[in-house]
Amino acid sequence: MRGLLRTLRSRWKLVLALTVGGFLASAALIVAGAAGLAYTSTEAFCTGCHEMRDTVYAEYKGTIHDQNRTGVRAICTDCHVPREPVALIKRKFEASGELYHHFITGSINTPEKFEAKRYELATHVWKRMKETDSVECRNCHKSDKMNVELQSAKAQARHAKAKTENLTCIDCHFGIAHKEPDGPGPQELFGKAK
Amino acid sequence: MNTIRASHLLKVVLAMSCVGAMLSVQAQEVDVAAAEALAKKSNCTKCHSVSAKKDGPAYKVTAEKFKGKADAEATLIKHLKTGPKIKIDGVEEEHQIVKSKDDAEIKNLVRYILSR
Repeated sequence: MRGLLRTLRSRWKLVLALTVGGFLASAALIVAGAAGLAYTSTEAFCTGCHEMRDTVYAEYKGTIHDQNRTGVRAICTDCHVPREPVALIKRKFEASGELYHHFITGSINTPEKFEAKRYELATHVWKRMKETDSVECRNCHKSDKMNVELQSAKAQARHAKAKTENLTCIDCHFGIAHKEPDGPGPQELFGKAK
Repeated sequence: MNTIRASHLLKVVLAMSCVGAMLSVQAQEVDVAAAEALAKKSNCTKCHSVSAKKDGPAYKVTAEKFKGKADAEATLIKHLKTGPKIKIDGVEEEHQIVKSKDDAEIKNLVRYILSR
């Protein structure tokens, strides 16, 4: 132990260089990681591929989450990527599968191929939302902050029913930003939320 | 004799072509984008889906129910324009009235529903 300390003391320049270098490298990695996360969460990045830009993004344009009275928008990541750090990183890693399909298999690289896969892709989103109790919706739409009195009688009744029956947002609010796929919806596919 | 048969056959073929052409014209008449826009504007999609389960029947279910019925269009137009009483989970409420005064636009929506 003393020998090690003596060695370190005699090579203090190397130790200092390694410490400072290690710190700088770690800081650079953290900054690059954060920048990467931020960049891959932008609308520009998500619509960089024609698979998204010409299909789901084109459908989203003009919907309530894109354009509305107040100008508050929900972009791709607001609805499709969780905000919590661990879940966020996990989702980003999962998304690498999308890169694989974009560059290698080209599974949705034509409008026809996309239509053929639309239902399957939608079910992936529905399944995730059922499992997380529609966490992305709830990041903005806090049920405990809803002023029920401002809701229509119908909305009040539906939301009360959803609470009683343990339904989650996506059970009813599906196909609101993109075309509704042809087939059974979340309630029929996955039953009640967990 | 053969000439008469041929003329009958020609008439049948012509009649079938006319029916086919009429049906295809009718099918083409549905402006899907306009129908979907009116459905959204009228909040139809809050309770009805094209094919999935929601509080109201899916358009496909309605289309199947009214298949081959001569009064299908008229019945649905009345349903959309008058806001009749309906029951959801046993609770009675008024059906939403379609947000359009344009009969052609409403008819287009009804045809869209019936053609799902």
